[in-house]
Amino acid sequence: MSTALLQELHQEVRRLYIAGSDLAADDFRLKRLLPQFEQLGERAAVFKRLGEGISALVTSEAAAGQSSAVKLQDLTLLLESVLYTQGSTSPSGSEAVQLQGSAFGLETGVSSRKIAAVRQALTTTGSGRYETVLEAFKDGVFQDLRLLPLAVGALGDPYAELADFAMNKILPSYGPAAADYLAQHFNPAGGKSEVRKLHVIKAVGRPELLEEIYKAACSGSDDVRAAAILCLAGPQEYIQALLEWTADKKKPIREAAYTALAEGGSAEGLERLFEAFAGKKDRELAAYALANYPSAPLGERLSVKFMDELREALAADHKDSKKNEALWNVISPYLIALADIRNPQLDEIYRFIIEHYDRFAALGWLHLLDRAARYQETALSEQGLELLRELDNKSVRYLSYYFRAAQQLLTAKELYNEFAGGSLLDKMKARLAKDAATRNRVLQDTLEEQILNAERVTYQLAWDYAGSRQQYVWEMLSPERIAAEWNPRWLDWAIERDAPELAAALARPGHSGVREYLTAKLNREGKHRKDVDFVSNLFKGLERAGLPEAERQELLISVVEQQRFQNPYMFHFYLLERMLAFPASYVERIEAVLPKYRYESKTQLEYLVSHLRSRQ
Amino acid sequence: MPELTSSYVDSLAPNTAAIKNGQGLVRKKSFIQLHRTENGELLFGQCAGSGKTPYECSVDFIAPENPVFRCSCPSRQFPCKHALGLLYAYVEGQTFTPAPVPEDIAAKREKAEKREENKVKQAAEGSPAKPKKVNKSALKKKITAQLEGLDLLEKLVLSLIRGGLSSIDAKTLKTVQEHVKQLGNYYLSGAQIELRRFALLLGKGEDREHGYTYAVRQLTLLHAFIKKGRSYLTARSEDPELALDHESTIDEWLGHAWQLSELKEYGLTAENAELLQLAFYSYDDKARQEFVDQGYWLDMSAGAVYKTLHYRPYKAAKLLREEDSFYEVAEVPLLYKYPGDMNPRVRYEGMTTRPVTPADLDQVHAHAHRSIAEAVKKVKNQLKNPLSDKEPVLLLHAVSISQTAQGEYLITDEAGGQLVLEDIPALSQGATVLLPFLPPVCLEHCTLLVMFEHDMDRGRLAAQPLGIIHAEGMTRLL
Repeated sequence: MSTALLQELHQEVRRLYIAGSDLAADDFRLKRLLPQFEQLGERAAVFKRLGEGISALVTSEAAAGQSSAVKLQDLTLLLESVLYTQGSTSPSGSEAVQLQGSAFGLETGVSSRKIAAVRQALTTTGSGRYETVLEAFKDGVFQDLRLLPLAVGALGDPYAELADFAMNKILPSYGPAAADYLAQHFNPAGGKSEVRKLHVIKAVGRPELLEEIYKAACSGSDDVRAAAILCLAGPQEYIQALLEWTADKKKPIREAAYTALAEGGSAEGLERLFEAFAGKKDRELAAYALANYPSAPLGERLSVKFMDELREALAADHKDSKKNEALWNVISPYLIALADIRNPQLDEIYRFIIEHYDRFAALGWLHLLDRAARYQETALSEQGLELLRELDNKSVRYLSYYFRAAQQLLTAKELYNEFAGGSLLDKMKARLAKDAATRNRVLQDTLEEQILNAERVTYQLAWDYAGSRQQYVWEMLSPERIAAEWNPRWLDWAIERDAPELAAALARPGHSGVREYLTAKLNREGKHRKDVDFVSNLFKGLERAGLPEAERQELLISVVEQQRFQNPYMFHFYLLERMLAFPASYVERIEAVLPKYRYESKTQLEYLVSHLRSRQ
Repeated sequence: MPELTSSYVDSLAPNTAAIKNGQGLVRKKSFIQLHRTENGELLFGQCAGSGKTPYECSVDFIAPENPVFRCSCPSRQFPCKHALGLLYAYVEGQTFTPAPVPEDIAAKREKAEKREENKVKQAAEGSPAKPKKVNKSALKKKITAQLEGLDLLEKLVLSLIRGGLSSIDAKTLKTVQEHVKQLGNYYLSGAQIELRRFALLLGKGEDREHGYTYAVRQLTLLHAFIKKGRSYLTARSEDPELALDHESTIDEWLGHAWQLSELKEYGLTAENAELLQLAFYSYDDKARQEFVDQGYWLDMSAGAVYKTLHYRPYKAAKLLREEDSFYEVAEVPLLYKYPGDMNPRVRYEGMTTRPVTPADLDQVHAHAHRSIAEAVKKVKNQLKNPLSDKEPVLLLHAVSISQTAQGEYLITDEAGGQLVLEDIPALSQGATVLLPFLPPVCLEHCTLLVMFEHDMDRGRLAAQPLGIIHAEGMTRLL
């Protein structure tokens, strides 16, 4: 049977459907086909019928009662039925090779509902996609074969976090097979998603693929080249190429080459990085490379150079602000490159800097001084502490460095004496000092930083029926650690300085005054405070101060009743937890104030009421 | 009481959100009381909710294959998250204190028992199936209306063809949509769906050039339907005693929803069938305005490939249970078969399960078509019928799966016959992209579940693999 002819006829009727069957009368293209059908019709009945259908369609309408549309429909229906029996199933190519199978070893045992959720997340846009994928990965859903193409596709997801998650977690979980596959489907001329593929290949670690990556590093798009160069860190055979790339015209390429050399740590590579410090052009690039992959021997050589250039810079003329800035640009890369390095030469340099505080401060190179202070803070040496004391005497800016260094070297008692103790006379003197207020504030901030936001605690948002959400909050240091690490006199210090939250954290049972102080604060302060945690911190303090629970509950409910919260939207998790421990008899009181609250706090109170009722 | 596992509880849940919410209740410790009866047949408890009083929920395993969920919450989802939570708590190993059966549940059990007794009694008396009285005048009225509706549809279709598809603009589409609505008044819900499908093909944002071929096919389909429907309805209007046509699908096209009792009446049932799910997927059928959960199942003894269809209308989608993949063998006491072609739709009311054994997989291989040529012939025979299912599915045995230099995937049968595997437009998800990732065991001497579709433009009969059954089990590609 002549399938080509039938197919041609189908094209013609399709054309008539599009153009309209009214145009079918005397259609010359159909007419042209008619003789062939008539000829074939002599042998096969179906062609005869098709031929009749065509001629009925092209003869003018007046002859038959039916409209052209019906005739067209009849003809096409018959034609389609015939065509359905003629569909070809044979391949166009001839030589077929047996599929070898892959090493992925993935199964397909995950239920359709779970797959569908991930499929939707990775094929559509909208909110909540990232969470779905995260959850699915945690549940091992991605170990299903059917999600593999989607996981690879996710590397190019427009939502960068999702694409990065696929790069860092999902694809490496498939093992080396993923690297092979990505290398096969790698497009060196591509963009971001190709770069991510390279990162996956590097993370999975397939030395066999390096040759391919080398090619990409030579000829790919700029983004791909930079990423590929990073993958070549290490093996001896590529060091020469990396050295050449440090002289490339393009900055991202040079940057990648320096980073790869620093990571590889070869002698030639380090030499090149050192050379980069000779000029201005690549000094910063080399510095960042070394910040990521520090090298101790190179650090020593650079430290010597650092000292020389620092002395030179100090000796130079600084009157011109532009020149001053240029000098700073020479020095600052050292701070980057040597961030994690510690050696005797550097000890020397940073001491030198602190000893010449006035001159550097005059130049406005505070960053340099800060780094020196930081270096001494982490040095854990008597000498360093002495230098920091000196620095603190010069500027209150370094008080916190000095404090933290002292904290590590002195006992709790010594620390208190050093910063808050001394004789009455000393105290008087300190109070009269010019920068007394600033010193106090800095000291208080330093303490609060360490005591108030010390650890992260997770709370379940139990009242939220929409789903079980969790939330992290920062909590104050535990009472045990406070007792062990902080001198008890700090509590009095905090009350005297009127730092209620600090006092709450440091509160302990048996202290005279702290309960009264905190209760007074609770009654006096209220809506003026900006800090949302304020009231809850005061209640934590009262608990630490050993105020019996019944009293605290009464206090808390009175605060709830008087609506003295600075955050009208939501109660702090800690407070809600305390409220859940209320005696069931409080329920009427809560219900009475419920109408006054709105937003999340209302939901919380409703939850509280139902909780108390269920206990009744 | 069946052995409770978390995957069993998952399978009871109507959707994934319910699973999450049920587990959330356990994690939030919302259950105030947890009890079980001495014999373990009943689990019950109280769960705090947003209402003032806690909800009383229970799961009754008095009939283990058919657990009864009861809860005093107002949720329309069934089973609700509280009943699921109760089961998750049990699975997690929380302590359930023994307690006697609460009064209200005892009463409910008694009532259920009585209902059951009555049913048995009625069945025993042998006079339950009162011959359904057919209201002849109403039926006649309905048929007349349907015939009128067909005329209306024909008029519209012909006018569209005369004007040409290229001239269809937003205004014409609006007229078509109005007709879709009107057809509902003429009891022609089947036609309604197909006309809407036609409108969607030419609708906004669709690639017209691509859609024309399908639109033409849709028009000839409507034409065939009008012709066949008219002659069938005329015959019925002349003889109202005439029964429904239980051999062809014309009643379904006209919008008849078969009831299980009708199917039973016509003898379209099978007893003690064992079904193994070969493929499952869900899709959004915009023409039906429903989500469809579609499964393909092998009848282990008869060898036929059936399909199950669960429709979830958009408006009620939230409340209806989403079906899911099924990995065990379903033992169905009474299977109802709809009139249909190669893959008739089936339904069942109750079933028990058993794990899949290697012998079951042997059965799958045994039921597969050994010759590609014969299978293709069978498929073409079905396709040429204008009102047939245009995407038939069958099992094919393959000696090997290979790839040509042009990138085409091929399967080869024992006689050397070949079939190209490709993705078909009827399915929204491709499967051939997965073929290179398959382990070697899937690629030789295996059985494939294949769906066919004829591609008019290219004159090809395309076949997409839905799953592969091999020596070590089953790999699903959808």
